[in-house]
Amino acid sequence: MPAPRPDTLKPVKDFSRTAATFAVARAAGSPTLYLGAADFKVSEADLSASKPEAKELYAHASYVTGLALAGKWLVSGGYDGKLIWWDTEARAVARTVDAHAKWVRKVVASPDGTLVASVADDMVCKLWDAATGKPVRELKGHAEKTPQHFPSMLYAVAFSADGKLLATADKVGHVVVWDVAAGEQLAAVEAPVMYTWDAVQRMHSIGGVRSAAFSPDGKLLAVGGMGKVGNIDHLEGKARVEVFDWKAGTRVAEFPGDKFAGLVNKLAFAPDGSWLLAAGGAGEGFVQFFDVAAKAVLRQEKVAIHVHDFVLSPAADSLVLVGANKVAAYSLGL
Amino acid sequence: MRNHFCGSADHAVGRRAFLGASAAGAAAFADMTGLGVLGSPALASELKKGQKRVILLWLAGGASQLETWDPKPGAATGGPFRAIPTDVPGVHISELMPEMAKRMKTTCVVRGLNTRNGDHGGGAKLMMRGRRDEAGLRYPDLGAVVAREMARADSKVPDYVTFYTQTEGRSMAPGDGGFLGARFSPMELTTNDTPDFIRRPDGLSDLDHKERAELRESLGKGFARGRAGGDTLGSHDEAYGRVRGLMASESLFNIGKEPQKVRDRYGPTQFGRQCLIARRLVEAGVPFVRVARAWWDSHGQNFETHQEMVPELDHVMATLIDDLKERGLLDDVMILTLAEFGRTPAINASLGRDHFASAWSMTMTGAGIKGGSVYGKTDAKGGTVTDGEVNAAKLFATIYRGLGINPQKNYFVGTRPIPLVDAGTEPITEVLA
Repeated sequence: MPAPRPDTLKPVKDFSRTAATFAVARAAGSPTLYLGAADFKVSEADLSASKPEAKELYAHASYVTGLALAGKWLVSGGYDGKLIWWDTEARAVARTVDAHAKWVRKVVASPDGTLVASVADDMVCKLWDAATGKPVRELKGHAEKTPQHFPSMLYAVAFSADGKLLATADKVGHVVVWDVAAGEQLAAVEAPVMYTWDAVQRMHSIGGVRSAAFSPDGKLLAVGGMGKVGNIDHLEGKARVEVFDWKAGTRVAEFPGDKFAGLVNKLAFAPDGSWLLAAGGAGEGFVQFFDVAAKAVLRQEKVAIHVHDFVLSPAADSLVLVGANKVAAYSLGL
Repeated sequence: MRNHFCGSADHAVGRRAFLGASAAGAAAFADMTGLGVLGSPALASELKKGQKRVILLWLAGGASQLETWDPKPGAATGGPFRAIPTDVPGVHISELMPEMAKRMKTTCVVRGLNTRNGDHGGGAKLMMRGRRDEAGLRYPDLGAVVAREMARADSKVPDYVTFYTQTEGRSMAPGDGGFLGARFSPMELTTNDTPDFIRRPDGLSDLDHKERAELRESLGKGFARGRAGGDTLGSHDEAYGRVRGLMASESLFNIGKEPQKVRDRYGPTQFGRQCLIARRLVEAGVPFVRVARAWWDSHGQNFETHQEMVPELDHVMATLIDDLKERGLLDDVMILTLAEFGRTPAINASLGRDHFASAWSMTMTGAGIKGGSVYGKTDAKGGTVTDGEVNAAKLFATIYRGLGINPQKNYFVGTRPIPLVDAGTEPITEVLA
């Protein structure tokens, strides 16, 4: 079934939050949103309510930056280095795991819901048994320090649609594709433009690969971030997406951005692969739709929030953006 | 208070030892640039007796007090970092500073700075000088005053050295002798770790250079014989003498002369290297060294910026403290962390913090300062000072007093007396040792 066209994107409703929301998860067909935020809390909100309101479920000890739904389990990760398993049926915390030595940046679940992957600034991707919370394996393929001897950061992780592949991406633009079952590195590609090290003016860095997504057939890997930045005091680099044939190690498309500044924090392909959705922001936010094969921008829109995360329904007919102090729902194809 | 040779027997011995340990036959250039002489207990003792020195770690662009010295964990404005306990009971700092957390007994934190200027240029001038310039009167900055007060009259090392290698903000925070003039303006290093233009030209041998100096001296004496106006000639002699000293001081900037293990302690970054050079400079008697570390102006991605930069500050500052302590210098060298301002408690849409001068922090360590002290409090969100407010003048009065300088001492511009700090300003006595 063809995915809805990007030009059908329409706002449905939104609601404000007092804290920036960094992560969102939603079960297929469910009106319930799970939200992870700068108030350290994991909350839920009923999107079907006339005035949705986030209600606290439990809390981390720092920002909540990753949420993944694996069956009945909601797994959250935060800058406290912990992963917390929430039983959505029993509505209780089942376990808390000291998962990483540094900030957890993102948490994703495998499409079949058996595995959870977390990435953190200890530069390790860890795979967990979604049901038991037991560690399965560690994937180590990213340097702990940047070439300038500063701590690096491991921002992005994504499963392929068949769950056999996993991609991880770091601050300096190093992207690794892993064989999930074997725990082995299959390939690596580089997106160095997304890392700006200012050696002359400011002597620090900004940027990094913030998002990754496989095409539905797993052949292409898209990564997102921001192009080179002149003044790294601000997120003023152009929003940037690069798409790789990761097996060949070649970049097949690049969308350097001509309209919006800021980081591409989240990427997702349409289920039929006909478009790639990117969202992010700086002071303001944006969504962008790309036709990867045609190397064309299909649609790009300013949105009211710097988007930190989104959840796209399996049929791509519903999109929920979360970010700076707001949650916004959109429809597609209606 | 300027530290002239007093003529005492103790100092005479120290001075002879010092001269003897200098380059052979170079007694006329009694510089302190051969670090080997610092192995001499007599010289070390002489330097320790009274000559206080300062290393200013200038956190250009404005480091966040919330991610360093005044964390607010759990507050809406607190950001993601935790606060950690320190070796001073009840005092917590950011988790980004685990090394300094073990050394807070050496350090005083001033948490109540309210300096009312959130502009880079204006803030930098204010926090470098302790006051605002007046029309027609440019005040000397802290380095120039310390150089003026602490420089040895016979010193051939630079009196005031500043590193500012990054370009951002450099022009807004220049070292400035103000009305004290060029004599106390800094030697500025902006392109690399070694001063430009002090090396003897390749085509000129050291012997030639010395002989030229001797010829100049001989001609000068002949010219001066029977003439009035000896001050002018003396000034020329001093200037030429300083040239030789400054040339010889090049080795102070060469950290290759340090054992590898010492270089490793400071780490591989430029800030680490420059702080090691700063230690070498103060050890050799340079009164004031500023190491500017730019650029902290984190309007976007404040937490990532501080995650990157604060651990470096933590490591290098802790190493510097340890190194000075092990060398018996920490009682005589004051380490300051200071900037033009701090950062807003409010977090913007880009996860940045903006300029904020209403409630921010700095630190003082070492000479004259009561380690382990904390002065001033901010409210639960870090938005206002609730106790112990300190402005620039009060801070400078405290620094001067810690160094043994009377902050109400007057300089004279013409016949006008100019106190070092605004009249009537008292230091923070609670943090003075």
